[in-house]
Amino acid sequence: MPRELLTDFELMILLAIMRAGDEAYGVQIAREIESTGRRRVLLGAVYAALERLEGNGLVTSTVGAPTGERGGRAKRFFRVTARGVRAARNTQQALVALWRGLPQLKERRS
Amino acid sequence: MTPRRPPRVALALLARFVADSEALAGDLLEEFEHGRSRSWLWVQVLAALVTRPERERGEIRPLRLVDLQPADAAERTRRFSVRFPAVEMSAVGGVGALGLAGFVGLMTGLVPAAWWLLAAAAIAGCALGVVLIVVRRRALG
Repeated sequence: MPRELLTDFELMILLAIMRAGDEAYGVQIAREIESTGRRRVLLGAVYAALERLEGNGLVTSTVGAPTGERGGRAKRFFRVTARGVRAARNTQQALVALWRGLPQLKERRS
Repeated sequence: MTPRRPPRVALALLARFVADSEALAGDLLEEFEHGRSRSWLWVQVLAALVTRPERERGEIRPLRLVDLQPADAAERTRRFSVRFPAVEMSAVGGVGALGLAGFVGLMTGLVPAAWWLLAAAAIAGCALGVVLIVVRRRALG
């Protein structure tokens, strides 16, 4: 069976979910990516990727309690599955292998 | 001071056209409550509408390091063509290019000024297509 590899956005989302822990819902995931990934993201794109990841069994979701602040709508919390962790690790290894030995990408010491 | 109200039309569009959008709508409202602008919310909703067909196709994309591998692109093209069959371009079914040539001749003879309108519509259509492609690419990250 071929190893599962993630796109950069999918990888960022998985890592953001892991970083957010129990508070991993749409807004929090987007904030993690924006603050640590220095990248602006659209919430719709985050949910599109989350649905794809859930369809592939890499994340699971549970629905929380509705709140007034959200117009009575519930939060959807996400968790990374063991398969998701494995996919993230496989992707990291693939990227590191590609990275290795490239003189253009060696850190310059000033 | 009256409390700000979120754009109801935007939320209605989201609920109508994006399946399972309740969590997304809640997130947008939460951000709006925390000071995001109405235009920000509209941009988010429009982007969600643009990315919607990708989600609702029920397609589980293969997880690849690079999205646009030739095999992947070919597979996507095949699925797209199955879902959206070829459109008959002729106004008269079965006539094809002859019908189109007839239409062009008729238009040139009767209302040549309308060519400007047609050209403007074609340019506007192309511009809209480019904007939608850019928005969609950005939305998909």
